[in-house]
Amino acid sequence: MAREARASMSITEEFAAKIRKDNQKDKIIRFAPIIVLAVMSLVFSAINGRNFASVSNFTTILNQLAIPLLVALGLTFVIMIGSIDLSINGTVGMSAAFLGVLVMNSRNGMDLGLAGVLLAVLASVAVGMLIGLIHVHLKIPSFMVSFAFMFICRGLGLLSYQGRPPRILDPVLTEIPRMSFLGMPAITWVALSVLLLCIFIQEYTAFGRYIYAVGTDETILHSVGVSVKRVKVMVFTLAGFCFGIAGVLGGIRLGQGDVTVVGTGLMFPAQAAVVVGGTALSGGKGGVINTVVGVFIMTVLFNGLVIMRVNPYIRTGVEGLIILAAVTLTVARGAKVISK
Amino acid sequence: MSGQTVGANCVRPNTIQNERKLIFSAKDIHKHYGATHALKGAGIDIREGEIIGLVGENGAGKSTLLKIIIGAEEPSSGSLTMHGKLYSPRNPMDANRAGVGMVFQEQSLIVSLTVGQNLFFGHEREFSKFRVINWKKLYKEAASALADVGAGGINPRKKVSDLNFATRQMIEIAKVINVTKGASGEKCLILLDEPTSVLSEHETRNLFEQMKKIAAKGHAVVFVSHRLDEVLEITDRVYVYKDGEGVGDLLTPEATESKLYEMMVGRTASGEYYQVNRQREAQEEIMLEVKDLGLSGVFKHVSFQLRRGEILGVCGVVGSGKEELCEVICGDEKPTSGEMYIKGKKVVFSSPAHGLREKVIMIPKERLAQGIIRTLSIEDNIAISSLKILSRNKFVTVKSVRKQALEWISRLRIKTRGPRELLMRLSGGNQQKVVFSRALASKCDILVLNHPTRGVDVGAKEEIYTLIRGMVTEGKAVILLGDTLDECIGMSSRVIVMKDGLVTGEFAAPPDGKPGQVDVVSLMM
Repeated sequence: MAREARASMSITEEFAAKIRKDNQKDKIIRFAPIIVLAVMSLVFSAINGRNFASVSNFTTILNQLAIPLLVALGLTFVIMIGSIDLSINGTVGMSAAFLGVLVMNSRNGMDLGLAGVLLAVLASVAVGMLIGLIHVHLKIPSFMVSFAFMFICRGLGLLSYQGRPPRILDPVLTEIPRMSFLGMPAITWVALSVLLLCIFIQEYTAFGRYIYAVGTDETILHSVGVSVKRVKVMVFTLAGFCFGIAGVLGGIRLGQGDVTVVGTGLMFPAQAAVVVGGTALSGGKGGVINTVVGVFIMTVLFNGLVIMRVNPYIRTGVEGLIILAAVTLTVARGAKVISK
Repeated sequence: MSGQTVGANCVRPNTIQNERKLIFSAKDIHKHYGATHALKGAGIDIREGEIIGLVGENGAGKSTLLKIIIGAEEPSSGSLTMHGKLYSPRNPMDANRAGVGMVFQEQSLIVSLTVGQNLFFGHEREFSKFRVINWKKLYKEAASALADVGAGGINPRKKVSDLNFATRQMIEIAKVINVTKGASGEKCLILLDEPTSVLSEHETRNLFEQMKKIAAKGHAVVFVSHRLDEVLEITDRVYVYKDGEGVGDLLTPEATESKLYEMMVGRTASGEYYQVNRQREAQEEIMLEVKDLGLSGVFKHVSFQLRRGEILGVCGVVGSGKEELCEVICGDEKPTSGEMYIKGKKVVFSSPAHGLREKVIMIPKERLAQGIIRTLSIEDNIAISSLKILSRNKFVTVKSVRKQALEWISRLRIKTRGPRELLMRLSGGNQQKVVFSRALASKCDILVLNHPTRGVDVGAKEEIYTLIRGMVTEGKAVILLGDTLDECIGMSSRVIVMKDGLVTGEFAAPPDGKPGQVDVVSLMM
């Protein structure tokens, strides 16, 4: 009997050891992104010297980072609940187009000024909410709903200016791209304030807790009486808000409300940034700070590759490889069923 | 056959207990899941300050009863009262409000959040001003809630994923008590479902201390466990369940392990039912041998030989490691220690497909999820594991698939309109026959049958027993995980018993000397 007890103890111990090992792996993965970023920066500095490691290049990186950061922030919450939003290129482009036709522009007599900016963002917020509502109430997978809305929004954007994109003539808005404060472009400041807002939502509100919970296990929310549907709809709405801001800033920076220019090539780098930052596609893990690191990784990588004059076509391929590698590292191993 | 009659052992509740105030009572609870009658008139009375044990074999209805009390399931009929008032929770939240909390077997903490965030999950409003959470206040409250259950050493700012299971369990308990305490001024009822299965000896001690403290405050605790020694140590009174019914309750001081075993084992069916007269002695040839087989953290030191023509029963409660043992044997899971030999040849399976090549196949427990493809026809389902055998030059003809299906339909008397009928249109028993056809068509000679009669009606059961007897007569070897202990003993020619990942005993089960259920159960729990 005593021998039995000892042996059975050791099974419990083995089990505990297995859990500990998993936790250690988790911890390593938690810090992996920041290590990757540090190593990458060092490597680029070593290869490119002053071209890379300079104040002016850092400003360039901050500048390049603004819109990808905004998009990735919105996407972070969506991925944290285990869903995905593929509407990005459409919603961002649509906001830019709406901005173009609502403020003083070359195509029509509109001149709504700040109200135009707000309306453009609001349109994207509404789309986000709609995606969420359709997703949870009609029980259609989020990737499908949002993918459909990518085209719907793109269409709406093109329709709003009848094919020829409007040039923005509003004197205040045309001034913004040149404005800077404490050496950082105004556009980047806007992105940073949205970042702060997102950190606040994640860390200091009940909603932030529920986002993690939905991604981990929806049944727990049911048992305490928190509406999973509501949380999901709110997440998609918040994402719409971030995409809207990104679209408006993109339009302002370009000086034109062009759907196809502003709303192109944003989605994949954003997915890559979120995943590379350590937010698991299965949900529940990661967060806004991870995404900041992820966006830095992606931006520094492309900045470095550009300085090294690497063929742009290769860069696109590299992006794909990175996302694949990051997903491979963060995916739950040992699951018997291959996820769909 | 040593038939056990147990009715005489039931002890009626005693007198001293009746003086305490009743907290909770359930009367004549029935629960149907489709054709299964999981609870047949169950009842339970719980008084203030009591620690109640709830014991019974797997499938006796303990979990179902708990789920009904916590509001996760609705009873088909019957009534519940809490503090003397009618109580019908629609969900666990309702139950919490009425003062009932449960620590689930599956952990219900959100591992990506901190301890404090978990404790007050869903109650953040109480710590918020203008929707902004005051973390300082929340964590302070969390620390005091943890101290309340004697777990003051846990840092409420730690992430749950960094904590071990025992600590998590304490957090669950703190959470449940906190939720229930906040909800009603009255005494609460805390349900613990197998809380010690992941705990070490020392951690279990600590848990028991907490349970005593909780009870000392007048709350009641229900403790469900397969570990009878623990039940006897900690509880005041024990309810024994069997086949969906309470067979009685007795004061713990009057209970002994052997008394409980006798109460909880089910009816022993006649030898005829299991066609014991067709049981033959095993042949000499060893079909499968495992030596010191182990799966890290689940089971270890499992050794046995399986002979041609033999049915080897494996008994054990859920979590004993028997299911995983089957998975290892059929190649679904790789063992971390030990060796396997098939007809004397050493094998290391990389997948169930590899197992199939070596003529080992499992009939899985979850028929719908693992055994069949509902949207395919009978003929296609039967052919899945035998396509290699049917193929000529890499191609399989529709004709050969149909011919095979027709053959099995008539041999196993599958009730269907034809081989093209979809599996989803068949009854459970006929679906199971298709699963058997698939396994037999694969020409495997080592079959692992995991609950082969689960969820099929009595008639189909009988046919499946005939089928199994026929298989071994033809010279196949079978490992059987019975749906009930009685079935496992009745069908098998030899039985091994597992508990907590170890083999605790082995019984020969010849037709004229089947081991008693009590003897087997006493090694399982």
